Amino acid sequence: MSVPLKVIYNEESTKSIGNDLRKVAVQPIVNYSNISKSYGDLQVLRNIDLDIAPGEKVALIGPSGSGKTTLARLLMTLEEPTSGTIEVDGEMLWHQKTNGKLVKANEKHLHKVRGNIGMVFQHFNLFPHMTILRNVMEAPRNVLGLSKEEAMERAVTMLKQVGLANKIDAYPAQLSGGQKQRVAIARALVMRPKVMIFDEPTSALDPELVGEVLEVIKAIAAEGEMAMLLITHEMDFARDVADRILFFDQGRIIEQGSPKRIFNNPESERLQTFLSRFNRH
Amino acid sequence: MWFDILPSFWEGAKITIQLTLFSAVIAFFLAFLAGFGRLSKIKAVRFLAATYVEIFRGTSLFVQLFWIYFALPLFGIMLPKMLAGVLALSLNAGAYGSEIVRSTIISVPKGQTEAAIALNMTPWQRTWLVILPQALVMMLPAFGNLIIEMLKGTALVSLVTLADLTFVATVLNSSIMRPTEIFSVLLVIYFVISLPFTRGIRWIEHRLSAGRY
Repeated sequence: MSVPLKVIYNEESTKSIGNDLRKVAVQPIVNYSNISKSYGDLQVLRNIDLDIAPGEKVALIGPSGSGKTTLARLLMTLEEPTSGTIEVDGEMLWHQKTNGKLVKANEKHLHKVRGNIGMVFQHFNLFPHMTILRNVMEAPRNVLGLSKEEAMERAVTMLKQVGLANKIDAYPAQLSGGQKQRVAIARALVMRPKVMIFDEPTSALDPELVGEVLEVIKAIAAEGEMAMLLITHEMDFARDVADRILFFDQGRIIEQGSPKRIFNNPESERLQTFLSRFNRH
Repeated sequence: MWFDILPSFWEGAKITIQLTLFSAVIAFFLAFLAGFGRLSKIKAVRFLAATYVEIFRGTSLFVQLFWIYFALPLFGIMLPKMLAGVLALSLNAGAYGSEIVRSTIISVPKGQTEAAIALNMTPWQRTWLVILPQALVMMLPAFGNLIIEMLKGTALVSLVTLADLTFVATVLNSSIMRPTEIFSVLLVIYFVISLPFTRGIRWIEHRLSAGRY
């Protein structure tokens, strides 16, 4: 009687059943399906399929111009895909159903779905005419419709978390690059998105300011519940933070896997070449 | 002495200041309307705005004024002098002003709009909270110039016999024949009227950009 049970519950099969169950039960927070993007004759993304699980930290690495940033910008609705669909939390992002037909999303639909996504930009893009506090408060107040007190409380909490509570009355022009980027992170976080995009968050910083920003992002990642799409050239950082690494080249995902797998056993020649450039120093 | 003629200018100065203020307010409004119109997503709106701007920028203020005052009555539209003056001045300045509005709005970096989108702001909020406050600071010096330009342009309305400063001066001159004093005083009065405008704009500019850049 007990023999068949043993067979079913041996370690290997339990693991595979568990994985399959998780795949069925947990809906991806982001799903790219056959996504392509072209600018005229230049195709920057070629038939991308990608699922991101809730809370998953995905790092995109690859040479400049490989399509990483475009992939993120499509998700933030800054750029429209040429073909394919994107779903966020089970809802179409760039399309909507009208009378049973799938049509291009209007601004109202985009507004509804986009609320799940946040983004931190390479060049911070803080609002120069607002104080730090207002930079972080403005969207909770006007987009989420919080009261002034609630919005301020949330903003201050967030600014404390990135270590800038003492700068709330300063203007962006008075901050260092690292401080600006930390404000930008607070500004995006305060909206409590389910997915956060970091588009080369340290590429525009002086080398000595990179560390403080990476530390903040690591701390946020450690909290866990928010999915992240990290575009970065900081390989050590990607290794530390990401659950999964995608290697991009010429608009395609060439290779993907756990950080350990990607960095220790790169399979494709292109990834090996790409990584060798980082290992040299 | 020259100051015995000064009181005669008083009524004229009032008309000139009124003309400038009314025209400035309407021109400002038209400038924003046409400036945003040229950036509209709707082609018909863009076309309409562009047509207005090109017509009023491409013809002389003098002719526009005469056309409004002397030609419109042929189509059954008879306007009082003051209204004709304000209309010509503001339509003209509004066309120039729309270019100021348009060019400063598109000069706000694209990253600002993108950040606003990433925070899920509506198009209205993006414009109102993020783009316009930044564009406005850049617009001010150019708008200051435009108002001064318009103040000086008001002298043209004397040609449709509206009793502004210049009209008063020419009438006075033809009766007492003291051109040196009369036109010297006229110069000084225009200059004095322009001062509060330049200072005012400078003050607003200073207030709006305090501590920011």
